[in-house]
Amino acid sequence: MNFKKVIIVFRKELMEVFRDKRTIFTTLLLPVILYPILIVGFNAIMARQSNVLEEQGATVAVCDSVQTAESMRIINDLSKIENFKFIPASDSVQSLYQSKDIQGIVTIRDSITANGLKVYHVFVQYDAANDRSSMMYSKLAEALQETEQEMVREKLEISGIDPELVNLVDLRERDTADSQKKMGMILGMILPYIMIMMLLTGASVVAADLVAGEKERKTLETLLVAGVRRIDVVIGKYLTIIFMSMVNLIVNLFSISFSLRYMLAQSGLDLAGANMPIKAILILLVAMLPLATLFAAILLSISTFSRNIKEARTYEQPILIISMIMAMISFLPAVEMNSLMALIPVVNIALLFKALMINDYQVSHLLITIISTLVLDVIAIWVTIKLFNTEGILFRSEDDSGGIKSIKKNKRNFFTPYNGLVYYTLALVALYYIGSRWQIQDLTSGLVKTQIILFALPVLVILRLLKMPVAKTLRLKLPSWKQVVLIPFIAIPATILVSLFSQLINVIYPFPESYLESMGKLFELDLPLWGSFLVVAVAPGICEELLFRGFMPRFFEKYGFKINIILIALLFAAFHLDPFRFFPVFLLGLILAYLTLRSGSIVNSMILHILNNGFAIFIMAFSGSAWLNYFMQDQENLRYWVALPAVVILYLALRAFHKVTAKEAELCVE
Amino acid sequence: MILVKNLVKEFPKKDGSVFSAVDDISFETADGEIVCLLGVNGAGKTTTMRLLSTVFQPTKGTAEIQGWDIRKNPDKVREQLGFLSGDTGLYNRLRVHELIRYFGRLYSMSDDEITRRMQEMADLLDMNDFMDKKIEFLSSGMKQKVSIVRSIIHDPPVMIMDEPTSGLDILTARHIISFIRSCKERGKCVLFSTHIMREAERLADRIVMIHKGKILAEGSLEELRTATGQTDLDDIFVYYVNLYSDEEKVKADEF
Repeated sequence: MNFKKVIIVFRKELMEVFRDKRTIFTTLLLPVILYPILIVGFNAIMARQSNVLEEQGATVAVCDSVQTAESMRIINDLSKIENFKFIPASDSVQSLYQSKDIQGIVTIRDSITANGLKVYHVFVQYDAANDRSSMMYSKLAEALQETEQEMVREKLEISGIDPELVNLVDLRERDTADSQKKMGMILGMILPYIMIMMLLTGASVVAADLVAGEKERKTLETLLVAGVRRIDVVIGKYLTIIFMSMVNLIVNLFSISFSLRYMLAQSGLDLAGANMPIKAILILLVAMLPLATLFAAILLSISTFSRNIKEARTYEQPILIISMIMAMISFLPAVEMNSLMALIPVVNIALLFKALMINDYQVSHLLITIISTLVLDVIAIWVTIKLFNTEGILFRSEDDSGGIKSIKKNKRNFFTPYNGLVYYTLALVALYYIGSRWQIQDLTSGLVKTQIILFALPVLVILRLLKMPVAKTLRLKLPSWKQVVLIPFIAIPATILVSLFSQLINVIYPFPESYLESMGKLFELDLPLWGSFLVVAVAPGICEELLFRGFMPRFFEKYGFKINIILIALLFAAFHLDPFRFFPVFLLGLILAYLTLRSGSIVNSMILHILNNGFAIFIMAFSGSAWLNYFMQDQENLRYWVALPAVVILYLALRAFHKVTAKEAELCVE
Repeated sequence: MILVKNLVKEFPKKDGSVFSAVDDISFETADGEIVCLLGVNGAGKTTTMRLLSTVFQPTKGTAEIQGWDIRKNPDKVREQLGFLSGDTGLYNRLRVHELIRYFGRLYSMSDDEITRRMQEMADLLDMNDFMDKKIEFLSSGMKQKVSIVRSIIHDPPVMIMDEPTSGLDILTARHIISFIRSCKERGKCVLFSTHIMREAERLADRIVMIHKGKILAEGSLEELRTATGQTDLDDIFVYYVNLYSDEEKVKADEF
């Protein structure tokens, strides 16, 4: 890397960026104008609005069916509320209420308790969805409580009891959070989200322009033939994105914090003397820097991959949405920073931010956050430089990912990675919207229906429609007996290792109670043992395999054996819509895909899948028996030492499988 | 000098087969010589030049620019090379002098050097009127002049120009052609491509005819005239194309 040239590229890119009026407007001018208008303006309107409501007051119909001195007194006290008008209830009272001419109806009844005490019931009819009506209710409730206390006090006095009995248990609060902390907490909720989004939007505007824009304007080739190495170009552009996203962030941050301070002061929060925690914000900007570099690297690789700005902006969308959801973590009250969370990009920054704002953070978390982000960073930059050296990417021509017509014309066109992702998304949507509904209606039949109708059937229908050889495409072929014999020796240790892995995750990051419950339901189906086995093991073992080991790998064949396996495992893991099981399922997916693609027979992975899913049922069935206790710590958890023989057996069995399938693997390459 | 050795460039086609845009081409261009790549659109001229500019990687074979291998030392090659084509656009948001200075700096030139050379070129190509203008406001002739200065600001010994006069009016085209000739007089090695026969006739010391990725014929205008018995370059070109097609036919018949 030639740092001097990197700086030359960086300075020229900045000059161009600042000459673009749109960029200047969105990164500098807009935030300066927007937040004061949004926050202060909105606040002013809100405040005005609630004043207006109180000034408007309310008209309330009263129906006093008791007509005693005390009930009259209640009504009298209520009518002292400012701007409230009380009218006697007539027959048309409900229609008046419907037409919103009155905001509420108060009815007073009484009853006598077993001890002979007369009790008054005040019924208030109101509309919680109507601002004026709910304002009426809260004012009434407040006034009633005062009247009640007053009346009780008087009664006690008459009976010769100390009227302070009303306050027998007196609640007094003392809030130790100083105003600085209060401010921090509020900012800690909102700011991380806003800052992460600002960082991302600021970066994405510039990033799309820097490479995809150069392709569009045909200037990229000029740069590539100039006396500069590609790595210098990439780093120079990369620095430009980081710089602009940080500028955008700082401008936004100051604009927001000034506006927010104004808003919080207005909203009556006791924040006297509270300052923006400037020190925390400075630390935060430093902590945001790695995230800025990560976003810059990812966006730059997207920009490099895209043919034009429009395409780059399209590919940026998923990144924006995912980061948005991850950044929302800061809104959740219960989630706190720990060493595991510090490993997850975006989430770690959001949580760190939250902790920093209330001045309660650990340096180790800060370090893990920065280091883990930097590692991802280096990967993304490396990918970008690779892309920059791939002429096929740099000079991509129009894509031919055509519609159904081109598929019919040429069946080869069907199995493209793009179509694979589309099919995967459709299956995921079907599972989420249709499958989950079936399973809520009836778990057993829902599970079976999901497997057969959503997973297996469409695959078979599509292959039929396209007139492709079903068995050959899906690798439906009997494996040799040597392979089948080896499968249990792969399946059992693999299942044990994956279970241990889940167990470990559970220790580090405990699964929520509700999650364990819903998982448990799967094994408490109201079925005989063989029935559960069919529903939980056999059906998924066949149907999911047809989809994920038969059908899906065909779409990604052009990436080669290894990448295909990894992709399939990733898709398979994500398909379970379950963050807790992502890594265990991913590992299992690697083995499953390997078995099928290596041996050319899907039956292998089917058997493994069935054995794996059946394992849990097996443990349930034999739980409590003495020999099983030898391997188990308790009802659910395996003993850790089991990992050792499992690793050894798995290794040996996989090696044997690899040898046995040498011939098939050669045939598969063809 | 440029030395092209058995250069092949294949592109994958959608149906999985490959298409050879450049198919085993060899030729050389000496210092102080202007060589013209002549061929119809899609013959492989631009791909050949892109390979020489190191933007593309050859599938097979290689080439040398001033002794530097385009595969092994692409960075050194670019330092020795001024490259210009229809795909080397300019940054619209920059002013002319800013753009030229940017590329000069990328070639590790000092600022004084850049200023001196820029002034020299501006006088030569009659550009002094628009050095301070933003590039987006320039005419296509002006832009082409800027492109030329951009490509040879570092005074490279080798110049490769892909259809340098395409889309220009007669006066600007003449200006550029006489400039190319002056480069030759200063001992530069120039490779340019065109599909305009007149330009090739007037400018080139030697002509390399390319068709469907292969070299049809190579030689000075005089040599080509004697070999074919035709006087007009148009006719010479058509003669060779027909010869090539006949060979193809014969080949096809043999099978």
